[in-house]
Amino acid sequence: MIKNFFKLISNEFKLMLRESVFSVVLICLLIIACSIFSLSLRNESIGMNVPLSFLYIMIFFISLFKVEKTYCLDFDEAKLQQYILSPFSLEIIVFVKNMMIYLNLIIFFLIFSPLILIILNIDMSYLIQINTLLSLSLLSIIFIASMTASITISKNNRLSLTSILTLPLFVPILIFSMAITDLMDFNTNKMYLFFVAYFLLNLAFSPLLTSFALKKLSV
Amino acid sequence: MIEVNNLSFARGNILIYKDINFKIFPGELLLVRGANGVGKTTLLSNIINFTDPLEGNITYHGTSIDNHIASECFLYIGENNFAYDTLTLNQNIDYWLSVHNVNFDKSVKNKSVKFLFEELNLDKKFYQLSFGQKKKLQLLLLMLVNKPVWILDDPFSGLDMKSILKVNHLFEKKLENKGIIIVTSHQNIIFQNYKTLELI
Repeated sequence: MIKNFFKLISNEFKLMLRESVFSVVLICLLIIACSIFSLSLRNESIGMNVPLSFLYIMIFFISLFKVEKTYCLDFDEAKLQQYILSPFSLEIIVFVKNMMIYLNLIIFFLIFSPLILIILNIDMSYLIQINTLLSLSLLSIIFIASMTASITISKNNRLSLTSILTLPLFVPILIFSMAITDLMDFNTNKMYLFFVAYFLLNLAFSPLLTSFALKKLSV
Repeated sequence: MIEVNNLSFARGNILIYKDINFKIFPGELLLVRGANGVGKTTLLSNIINFTDPLEGNITYHGTSIDNHIASECFLYIGENNFAYDTLTLNQNIDYWLSVHNVNFDKSVKNKSVKFLFEELNLDKKFYQLSFGQKKKLQLLLLMLVNKPVWILDDPFSGLDMKSILKVNHLFEKKLENKGIIIVTSHQNIIFQNYKTLELI
């Protein structure tokens, strides 16, 4: 079982690599959006908070798109039926898929982050802190987005609207991220612990709720 | 043994079927027949616990079928294809066998592929296959995943006569080994040792 679990992870990794074209497209969209943002505010002195907030909002949307697309493709009815009948519980498969979506997005983001910071006119000395912050918060964003996606892709259109209920879960991430960026030196390690704690909370509930929604609404 | 008692199912306010009763013993095949829309696929998804019935119960060897029993004992091949278009045939086989927690010998896998597909390039992408070949990939699981009960929704659609005979041969072997098969089909295929359930 353990051997096959690792084989499943390796297969999911290969699958993720093949589907990474969409991630590249989304990162290109992010770069274009950042360029438009910077160009439109080129004559204003806006400091670091506004571009970072913009970056956060864009990352939030990109994650939603990516998770939604992956869930539409990977959890269509026929595949979902096989996952449900797999000896691995659906929660584990959801967890593995979420982690692969995370890896896919974060790898491309880390590669392009220096360029994005230059475009947004953010001091490069903050590169590591901003990347750490985004890497930690993106984990929670993906796991919450998976709950949203599992409801949105359901067969019942009326229930799809209830996915809006998951959106407030993103708010603490945005609030705490902005709170960290207010402390200019980013040296408050305890603030980072919030993201770890929030991720662990999501890790406990998100795969359970996502797989429950998939089983009940999509089969 | 699979036993279905007074099974009814409704979707919204529409009653799909009512009071269905049957028993299938090891070594038997149940052929579910009926016109489009009478609930053949729904009945299968009830049996396999994908959907909850309105009334009645379904047991496997006296125990009510839950997710654990379904995943341990049931292999389901539905109408729609579950393979990934972006993966090759070989990668798809590896992927779905790992999902079903199957440790397989490469020679066994190759033998099974050869039995169903004869000569075929396994490095072909899934989307490059024909409808019949795609269907065969699903049916390949029958040979590689060892579960006592097969639930098959129209497994012969898109298959040529030669392939139908091969699948029928797999059915015979399964029944000889005291397996249970529940199958829906619109084609007139002669099985050995089978019961028919006509849905109206």
